[in-house]
Amino acid sequence: MRRRIPEWFVLLMPAFIVIAAVVLIPLIFSLYSSFTPYKLTRPSTLWTWIGERNYERILTDWKFWAAFGRTILFLTIALNLELIFGLGIALMVNKVTWGQRTLRTVLMFPMMFSPILVGFQFKFIFNDNVGLVNNVLQSLGSDAALPWLVDGKLAMFSILFAEIWMSTSVFAILILAGLFAMPRDPLEAAKVDGCTPWQSFRHITLPFLMPFIYIAMTIRSLDVARAYDIVQIMTGGGPARRTELLWTLMSRTGYVDAKMGLANAMGYVSILLSIAFTIYFFRKLSAARAELGMGA
Amino acid sequence: MKSVLFNSLVACTALVAVSESAAAQDYGSFPGVTIDAKLIGGQQYEALYGRIADWEALTGAKVNILSKKSHFEIDREIKSDMAAGTTDWCVGSNHSSFAPQYEGLYTDLNALVSPDIVAEFVPGNIGAATVGGELLMLPRAQFDVSVLYYLKSNYTDPEKAAEFKAEYGYDLAVPETWEQVKDQAIFFADPPNFYGTQYAGKDEGVVGRFYEMLIAEGGQYLNDDYSPAFNSEEGVRALQWFVDLYQANAVPAGTTSYVWDDLGQGFASGTIALNLDWPGWAGFFNDPESSKAAGNVGVAVQPMGSAKRTGWAGLHGFSVTNDCANKEAAASFVMYLTSEESQLAESSGGSLPTRTAVWNANLETAANGDDAFRAEALAAFAEGAKHSFAVPPIPEWGETTNIVFPELQAAIVGDKTAQQALDDAAAEVDELMQDAGYY
Repeated sequence: MRRRIPEWFVLLMPAFIVIAAVVLIPLIFSLYSSFTPYKLTRPSTLWTWIGERNYERILTDWKFWAAFGRTILFLTIALNLELIFGLGIALMVNKVTWGQRTLRTVLMFPMMFSPILVGFQFKFIFNDNVGLVNNVLQSLGSDAALPWLVDGKLAMFSILFAEIWMSTSVFAILILAGLFAMPRDPLEAAKVDGCTPWQSFRHITLPFLMPFIYIAMTIRSLDVARAYDIVQIMTGGGPARRTELLWTLMSRTGYVDAKMGLANAMGYVSILLSIAFTIYFFRKLSAARAELGMGA
Repeated sequence: MKSVLFNSLVACTALVAVSESAAAQDYGSFPGVTIDAKLIGGQQYEALYGRIADWEALTGAKVNILSKKSHFEIDREIKSDMAAGTTDWCVGSNHSSFAPQYEGLYTDLNALVSPDIVAEFVPGNIGAATVGGELLMLPRAQFDVSVLYYLKSNYTDPEKAAEFKAEYGYDLAVPETWEQVKDQAIFFADPPNFYGTQYAGKDEGVVGRFYEMLIAEGGQYLNDDYSPAFNSEEGVRALQWFVDLYQANAVPAGTTSYVWDDLGQGFASGTIALNLDWPGWAGFFNDPESSKAAGNVGVAVQPMGSAKRTGWAGLHGFSVTNDCANKEAAASFVMYLTSEESQLAESSGGSLPTRTAVWNANLETAANGDDAFRAEALAAFAEGAKHSFAVPPIPEWGETTNIVFPELQAAIVGDKTAQQALDDAAAEVDELMQDAGYY
C-alpha cells in the first residue's frame, strides 16, 4: 500500500520551499563560499576549496578584531544611552495629559527617515568647515574648527549621536506601551504605604518594564550590530580605520575588493556577536518575565 | 553671456565642419540588432547620450540602456554580473583605473577597429586603454588630469608679497614646485576661515594624489615585479608633504574625509587658496552662479616635485563584451560615441578630449575666442596632459588603494610616522601581490 504524504506536510510545503529558496540555500551557499577564495571578478574561484584558510586569516587579523571590538563598544554605548533617553522620554510622555497622541507621533519622526538621509544630514551638521555645529560654536566666539568626523573620539561620538537620534524612539515607544499596560493598583498601594516616587519606580515600575526593555534591546542589538549606512555615509569607517565597524569592513572586502569568500567568512564570525547578544537578552527577558510571574 | 554665446557658435561651426567629414565614415548597417548597454550616468555625461538616436538612424540598430549609474555603482554591478555569468550585454562604460579588473569580460578592440581609427587618438590615451596588449576600450572625451587652480587675488596684494618674501626669502608668485605650494599654503592659511590648500583624503583619491606626488619625487609605487616600492625615501618625502600641511592647519581638518565633490565645493566657496583639481570643475569654479571664487580663478600647470612634474590621469571609455552577440554592431556604436564629432560635442562642455584633432580644434577655438579663462584653462590642461600617466594596469590596483589609504590617513592625522605607515601598508600590499601570484 502506498503511503500518503501527510496533509500537514503538504500544507506546509509552500512555506518550506519559500524558506529554503530565500534563506536556507543562500545561507548554505555563503557558508560554502567562506571556505573558498571566491572572488566576484573570477567566478571560477568558487570551486577552489581552501578549507579554513579564510577563517585563520580573520582570526589573526587585528584589523578585523579591532572592528569587532569597536562594534561591541558602539553597540554597548548606543543601547545603554538609547535605553536611558527612551525611558526618560517615555516616563515624561506618560505624564502628559493633553496632546499626548500628537507627541507620540512627533516622537516617531526620526524613525521615518531613511538611515542614509540621516547619515547625510549629520555629515553636514558635523562638517568641520561648513557644518552647523562648528558655525554655531564660532558664532558663540570660539575660533576652533573641531574635526568632528576626523578625531577618533569625536567621530565615534558623532556617529553615535546620529544613531541615537534616529533610534531612541524605538525604546521610547516600546517602554511607553509597557507603561500603558501597567496595572495602577501596585503603584497606588505603594503610595498608601508611603513609598517615595524613586522607590515606586525602582521596585514596581522598572521590574514591570523590564520585559519591554529587553525586547527593545534585542531588536536594537540586531539593528546596531549591522550598523552600516550611517557609518558609511558619515565617515566610511575612516579616517585611519578610527570608525571602522564590522559591516563597513565586510562590505569593502566583499564588494570593493571583490573578495566575497573572505567577506562571507567575516560575516559568519560576526554573526556570533549577534547570536550572543540575542541569547543574552532572551535569557534576561525570560528571567524578568519569571520575576513578574508571567512564566518563563 | 557673450562669451558663452560666442563659444557655442564656434563649437557649432566646428561641429558642422567635422560632421560633414564624419558623414563619410561608414558605421555599417545593422537593422533589427539591439545593443544592450551599461553606461555611466551623471549630468556631465548625458550630452553625449543625446547622440545615440543619430547612430540608431544611421545603422538601423537600437540601443537599450540597461543601467546608467556612477562608475563605482557600475563597477559593483559588473562584478555581480561576472559572478552570475550574466555578461551577454554588449557595451559598457569603462575607466582606465577599473579596466584591468574585469579579466576576460571585454574583447580586444584591435580586432574590431581599424588601426587608422586607433591612430587618431592621443597615443598616451590608447596606452592607458590597453591592458596586456589588448585594447579594452575606446576613450571618450573624458580625459582627466589635474592642474592647479588658484585665487588670483592672493598674488596682487603688494603687502602680502612683501610679507611673504620677508618670511620665505623668495618672491610670491604662482607656485612652480610642491615645496612652494606647501610654503604658500601655510602662509595663506587663516583657519577656520581660510585654508591654504586641500586634498582628497580617503579612498582611491588620497592614494592617487600620493602616487603622483611619489613619482614627482622620483619614486615608484610598485617595482617591476609588482612588489611594493612606495615605502622608500621618496615615498616618505611625498607623504610628509600631506602630513606637514595637515599638522600646520593649512588644510581643513576634515580633509581626510573629503573626496572630489567636497573639494570642488570647498574651492568654489572661495576659502581655499590653491587647489589641484580636475578639468570638469573649470566652468563651475568660474561661474558666478555656483562659485564665490568666480572671476578670481587662475589656472596653471601642476607644480613639480623634486624630480619632475607628474599627473595621475584617468580616462573614460567604452568597451565591448566578449559575450556580445553582435560585436561588429557594438564596435560601431563605440566608434560613434568616441568619434571626432562626438568628442567635439562632448568637450565643448569643458571636458578634455582624447583625439589629437579635437585637442587642436579646441585649442584653436579657445585661442581665437574672447573667453580668456577658457583659453587659460585649456592651455594649462594641454600642458598638464603632457606629464600624465595612468595607474599600474593590474587588477589589484584598487585593492592596493584600499590597503594604502587608511595608512596614509594614519600618518596624516598623526597616529603613525610616515615611514611606519608606509612600511605597514607595504607589508600588506606585499602579501596581496604574493597571493595574486606575481612572485
